[in-house]
Formats: sequence, C-alpha cells, structure tokens
Amino acid sequence: MLRESQDSQKGGIERKMSEGSGRTMMSILLVVGLVIGFSVGYMIPVLTMPRYHEPTPPPDDYNTILLRGTIRVGTNSGWPPFEMLNTTTNELYGFDIDLAELVADYIGVTVEWVDMDFDALIGACQAGSIDMIASATFITAERCEVLQPLCWYIRTNEVIVVKTSSLLVIDNLTDLVGYDVGVQTGTVEDEELSAIPGINVVRFPLVETMFQQLDTGVLDAVYVDEPIVGLYSTVYSIKIIFTVTAPPTAFYIRYGSDKLSAAINSAIAEGFADGTVDALIAEWFG
Amino acid sequence: MQGPFGLFDILILIIIRGLPTTLALTFLSLAIGFLIGTVLALMRVFGHFIVRYIAIGYEKIFRGIPLLVLIFIFGAALLGWFAWTGSLANAIFVASMLSLALRSAAYQSEIFRGAILSVDPGQIMAARSIGMTTTQATRSIILPQAFRLSLPGWANEYAVVIKDTSLASAIGVSDLIYQAQAFTWDYPALFLAIILVVAIIYFVFTYPVTKYLGESMTLKLRQLGLGGGR
Repeated sequence: MLRESQDSQKGGIERKMSEGSGRTMMSILLVVGLVIGFSVGYMIPVLTMPRYHEPTPPPDDYNTILLRGTIRVGTNSGWPPFEMLNTTTNELYGFDIDLAELVADYIGVTVEWVDMDFDALIGACQAGSIDMIASATFITAERCEVLQPLCWYIRTNEVIVVKTSSLLVIDNLTDLVGYDVGVQTGTVEDEELSAIPGINVVRFPLVETMFQQLDTGVLDAVYVDEPIVGLYSTVYSIKIIFTVTAPPTAFYIRYGSDKLSAAINSAIAEGFADGTVDALIAEWFG
Repeated sequence: MQGPFGLFDILILIIIRGLPTTLALTFLSLAIGFLIGTVLALMRVFGHFIVRYIAIGYEKIFRGIPLLVLIFIFGAALLGWFAWTGSLANAIFVASMLSLALRSAAYQSEIFRGAILSVDPGQIMAARSIGMTTTQATRSIILPQAFRLSLPGWANEYAVVIKDTSLASAIGVSDLIYQAQAFTWDYPALFLAIILVVAIIYFVFTYPVTKYLGESMTLKLRQLGLGGGR
C-alpha cells in the first residue's frame, strides 16, 4: 500500500518532469518555427517571382519627393561648422544645412531634417527612411558600393592633434604605431588608422569625450577633421602636428534615382556657377 | 533670451525642450506596454498551451534584444511603417516609443504574471462556486488584486524605462540627452557640469516614484498581509 503510493508519487513527479522538458522543447520549437517562418516569408517573393519577367523598375525617388513636397535629409549634428544644433533657437544650422536647403529650393520642396547617430545614417538611407545624407560625408569606395555619391562640394583636411606639451613628431601616419589614437566611430579616419596594424585605435561615438581623454592624457593623439579642431582649441591647449588631405565631401542618395541625382547635381553645379556655394564656403570656413 | 547662457539658463532650456519629450515617451510606452503586458500575462496564466507558448516566445525574444538594436530596427530601417504619422519627427518619436513599449511589455508581463499567481487560487474557486464564470472572476477578483500587488515591481519598471528613453536620442528624438549633447557642443568647457545636471534631472523624476510606489506600497501591502518578502 505504502509502496504503491510512493510509486504513484514517483510516477507523478516523473510525469511532471517530462511535462516540464516538453514545455522547454515546445518553446525551443516555437522560436525555431518563428525563425523558419520569418525566413520562408522573406524568401517567398524571390521564389515566386517569374524568371522571364523583367522586374519593373522602382519609382524614381524624385517623383516621390515631389509628390510628398518634402525631402528627408539625415545628418549628425555636433560637427562644426558643417552641422550643429543652435542652442538658442533649437534649430539645426551649418554649412551642410544651408547647402541642402539650397538644393531643396532648386527642386522646389522643403527639407525635413532627421538628426541621428553617424553610424546609423547609411543604413537608414539604404532602407529608405531618409532620402539623402548631408553630414560632411567623405567619398570612400566602401560607401560608394552601397550608396550613390553626388557632386562633391568641399575638400577639408584630416589632422593629427596632440596636447601642446606633447613631444610627439611624425612624418607619416605609420609613425603612430604603438600610440593610443582616438577617432570617431565609423569615420574615414577610423578606417585609415584601422588599416595600419600596430596602432591602438580607440573609437568614440562622441568627439567631445575624445578631446577630454586627450586632455587627461589617456590618448596620445586624436585624428579628426580640421574644421572641428578650432572649437576645441579654445577650451583645451592642443596643437596640430600632421595634416592629410581628406577625400572630397559629398551628399549621398540611394542608387537607382537618376532624376534625383541629376537634379541635385545640377543644383550644386549651378550654385558653384553663380557663386552661391562659394559665398557659403566663405561664410562658414572664413 | 540670447546666448551665451550660464549653467542655470542651460539647465532651464534643457528642461523646457527635452523634458516633455522624455516624459511623453516614458508614459506612452509604459501605457502601451501595460496593455500588451497584461494580455501576455493573462495568456500565460490562463491560456491554452499554444497561446502560452506564443506569450513565452514573445517574452524570450524581446527580453533578448538590446533596446538600442530595437530602436535602430524601428527608427532607422523600418521607419516607412510610421509614415501615417505625417511628419518625420512624429514617425521617429512613434518608432522609438514602440520599441520601448514592446520591450517594456515583455518585462511587465512577467511582473503581472507573478502578481496574478500570488493571488490565492482559493479565491477563484470561491468565485466559481457562487456562479461566476472564470472570465468574470478574473476581471473583478483576480486582476484588481494583482495590479495592486504588482505596484512595487511596476515602479521598478518605470525607473528602468525613464532612463532607457535616453537611447532614443540615437535616432534624433529631441529628449533630455539630445538637448544636453547639443549644449555640450556650444559650451565644451561645461561638458561635465551639463551631464551631471541631466543625471540630477533623471534622478529627481525616478526617486519619488520608486520611493512611494516601491517602498511605501511594499510596506502597506505587508501590513494588509499581502505580497511576499519580509
């Protein structure tokens, strides 16, 4: 009698345990099923697309923008004098901002600004969340693979910055091997230094923190665009020891919008022809 | 008022421009997370086993994805979904609110599930024995008690969500952090002071809620003989 009840208890426990592992299995199966389901759902348009049809070209972004009446431009503020947030009026201002407004005026639409992290801009443009990137973006091979660069409008310098008290002297970027050098994440400076083995590249999402680290002595040097150094030389005692000519700066759009790229390129070209862009450059870069 | 500003002006401007957005993000995402979370908790406690596994799967997925990744998915990649909001600024706000809400729902459902389970099952039996259906008993007997029991845990969730709204500045929502960063560009010398000021603002909006709802409610519930812990 006692044994029987013990057995039945044991059986109950085993049943519960098997039920528990069954639940675990079920939840694993559910996740696996979801993954498979989503991937099949993602593949279905590709699989069911008839092979012999020419895919219809997607509508040109130019028409979409005209229809909407606004062009969505992505930027990353905090990069003087290209794009900054005016703390008095709570509005974006800067060279890129003025130039993009010029382009929008030429097309006949208004600009809708979105100010996001620099790393997120290219993904957002590819996904169609924004139409154009205007964020002091250099032309590089990697970016050209995924996005279409437009007519370039300015060339700046990239500089190595150290503290005034530093004795570091370099003739070449490779002389930095063994030093701690700060860069902003995802910038061309980041790529250039990462390509040289032996340099300890420290990546910062904010330029501000980078200069603080330079000042406290954590970093030996900082590699940034020349225009933004001016702002920090008023706060920290820093000096420029090495200058590299940067790649040209341009706006980027998605590939496949010939009308949009033609419109923006001719807007910039006309701006150069009648001197508006030169006036802007003189205004922002002195 | 024209710049340059002193630290106090900067503090006031950051609060005027950033705080409404931060609070709106927090409360809207908590409210939406509350609705989804309650449904998920009921699904887990009373649901058929398939329904239960769907709820468990949802929780596992959204508790396993970092919030910044969710914000980039909705705010940068899938922003087209929110075109109905009209302007781009609204779309970005709704996208970050949705990612906060979906993530919060996964955590809130755990809080409510625990609260529902801690209500004595004898009460639902008693309700059934006087002729109420399970739905009626759940709505008018279990849930009111469960929500009261879940208040301390829910205060904790509020404290988490209000601080996580700062991640929305990554896609350009004009919240406290975004405004503070803009000011650090104009006033690089005040960088540390501005960041500390923002820390104090977040603390001021977190502490009273966790103090009252968290600690005082726990004490009150204990006096009533409800809730766990000593």
